[in-house]
Amino acid sequence: MLISIFLFIPLITAVACVLIKKHNVSKYISVAGSFALLLYNIYLGYTIYLNRSLTELNGFFYVDALSLLTAQIVSVVGFAAALYSIGYMDAELHAAEFPEKRLRWYYFLFHMFIFTMLAVCVANNLGIMWVAIEATTLSTTFLVGFYNKKPHQEAAWKYIIICTVGITLALFGVILTYHSSKNVVGEIGYALNWTDLLAVADRFEPHLMKLAFLFIIIGYGTKAGLAPMHTWLPDAHSQAPSPISALFSGVLLNCSLYGIIRFHVISSKCLGPNYSCTLLMAFGLTSVIVSIPFILVQRDYKRLFAFSSIEHIGFIALGLGFGGMYSIYGAELHTFNHAVAKSLLFFCGGNLFLKYKTREMESIKGIIRTMPVTGVILIIAVFAITGIPPFNIFVSEFIVLADAFSSGSAFVLIFTSLLIVFLVLIFVGYINNIFKMIFSEPAETVVQGEVSKFTIAAMCFLLIFVLIISFYVPPIMRVILSQISDIIRNA
Amino acid sequence: MKQHIIVNSQTIDVLAVMMLIATILHISTGRLTTCVWAYAIRSFILACASGIIAYLSGIYHIFITTGITLVIKVVIIPWFLFYIIKKVGIKKEVESFLSFTLSLLCSCGVILVAYYATEPIIQFESTLMKHCLPISIAITLVGFFTMITRKKAITQILGLLAMEDGLFFAALSTSYGMPLIVELGVFFDILVSVIIMGIYVYRIKETFESIDIGFLKELRE
Repeated sequence: MLISIFLFIPLITAVACVLIKKHNVSKYISVAGSFALLLYNIYLGYTIYLNRSLTELNGFFYVDALSLLTAQIVSVVGFAAALYSIGYMDAELHAAEFPEKRLRWYYFLFHMFIFTMLAVCVANNLGIMWVAIEATTLSTTFLVGFYNKKPHQEAAWKYIIICTVGITLALFGVILTYHSSKNVVGEIGYALNWTDLLAVADRFEPHLMKLAFLFIIIGYGTKAGLAPMHTWLPDAHSQAPSPISALFSGVLLNCSLYGIIRFHVISSKCLGPNYSCTLLMAFGLTSVIVSIPFILVQRDYKRLFAFSSIEHIGFIALGLGFGGMYSIYGAELHTFNHAVAKSLLFFCGGNLFLKYKTREMESIKGIIRTMPVTGVILIIAVFAITGIPPFNIFVSEFIVLADAFSSGSAFVLIFTSLLIVFLVLIFVGYINNIFKMIFSEPAETVVQGEVSKFTIAAMCFLLIFVLIISFYVPPIMRVILSQISDIIRNA
Repeated sequence: MKQHIIVNSQTIDVLAVMMLIATILHISTGRLTTCVWAYAIRSFILACASGIIAYLSGIYHIFITTGITLVIKVVIIPWFLFYIIKKVGIKKEVESFLSFTLSLLCSCGVILVAYYATEPIIQFESTLMKHCLPISIAITLVGFFTMITRKKAITQILGLLAMEDGLFFAALSTSYGMPLIVELGVFFDILVSVIIMGIYVYRIKETFESIDIGFLKELRE
């Protein structure tokens, strides 16, 4: 029952939000639902902490440390985004950007989105996981095109077509995995359960498994935003409403990466870790390299943040690809850190958009004068996301890089040295772009003051996580992270 | 049971080739409605193949997927696509970045690639797979190819459906389909995604006054 309830919370919230016609009520239900999810997740986390893993319905659901971390990111960022949505969507409604009756569909799709992402995390059956990842695309298409104007429709069309094609390729990977397990599990295997497959993965047909992992990394990699399949990402992130962009960057990308990791574990057991690690490293480094020129010359701040997500997902893939115990620990810590910091950044971006009604960085000036709270949080978030000490992303990047340097392999050393140069370039790009917006004389016409207290509350909630991890990784998190490291290395 | 499958694999092979022909018809025709018909016919052949495999192998859950294929892929999706075509009122027929003869040539190349690429895998496999796996991959790749080269949004949907059909057939012929619950989920996803894409075709038509995806290029660096 434990895991089923977990899935029911967002589902019930979604239905409640669509049935209640008054958005003044449904927006509070939305926040209450996501807060309940957050509390329940803490309880579930404690159970996993005690038992290591949990299965339900004859192994249909399976939760271990890896799924728990992803689910935790979903619920933390989900709660923040629900809180932020109140302020943001009310302000947009006030500006008559969309008809009022559309708002309850926003909250409905919002919670369906959360539901599908949780389903990705708890599904044990790899086929069901595929269905859930495809369902995340379907539930968010209308959110990307929410304003229903030309650029939004273009972004939504691009998003659904590219992601569906990518995920269809991943289905082929799932089929090949199923087929390669046929000789071991039996001619008619009814189960595609990850736990059952992992137990016998060393006897799989290696040719097929190689092909399968290639399709999986290309397919789910499309959804995770790994270059060169990332082309939908900047458009969808920049056109969606800001709370949705935050969920996209912080959570959705991690969910697809979670799918890749599950197959990575099976493939490492079947073929040895080298094959899948090399692929992860190659795609990771490509993503970091591809994002750099776009970050340096970007004029639109939401696109800037989107390209930075590609960079960070690339970094996480690299960390997983290095394959050492601490680099995996660091990469998984990085997923959490990136999720909270990037969502925070998108929330800042949303506040700027509400105030200035533009996404051009050149036309925004003097944020620190007009919106002091947003300005200060933006400075912290930018420092955090570029990996400046002492903030949280520095901690996780340092762990990954230190482990890579100590591994002693020349191949890894070259990758890491290149990576450090790139990280510096990205820092320069960010500072150059953002600081002009923060410190300069504001235009006379702009009204002073913050837009909404809900948006500030959501930002402060995420800021707490950024600051805590900057100075101290809580012991329960440390245990979870080292459990994940064990799972991924098949230890 | 196994004996039956080997004897009758020729029937399955013939059906597989017919599916490939239907896919090529989709490439070579200039009329949008013919494309949808080609899709419906291919889905029907797919359902027949799936029914025969279910009967011969004695795995009865394949009958359920056969039934759902008939309902969703042969009836609902083609009907929905015809409805969208009528509602959007498409005047110009299929337009392509490549000429039709060139696309035919390319799809022949794609089929050769599919046979070449699966050669190392299928030597270990049972007879049933010898032609089915390369053909299903060929259908998938030809679908991918139409998505890349065609200009209309609806032809992109059809390309996607061809990819999905190819994969469904691959799963069916290599491993007697996926577990039932997974198949059901996949069907549901396909249906919902086609409906969402159809709605977007309509909305794009409303705002851009064309469903030529060449118009969708505002979002650039």
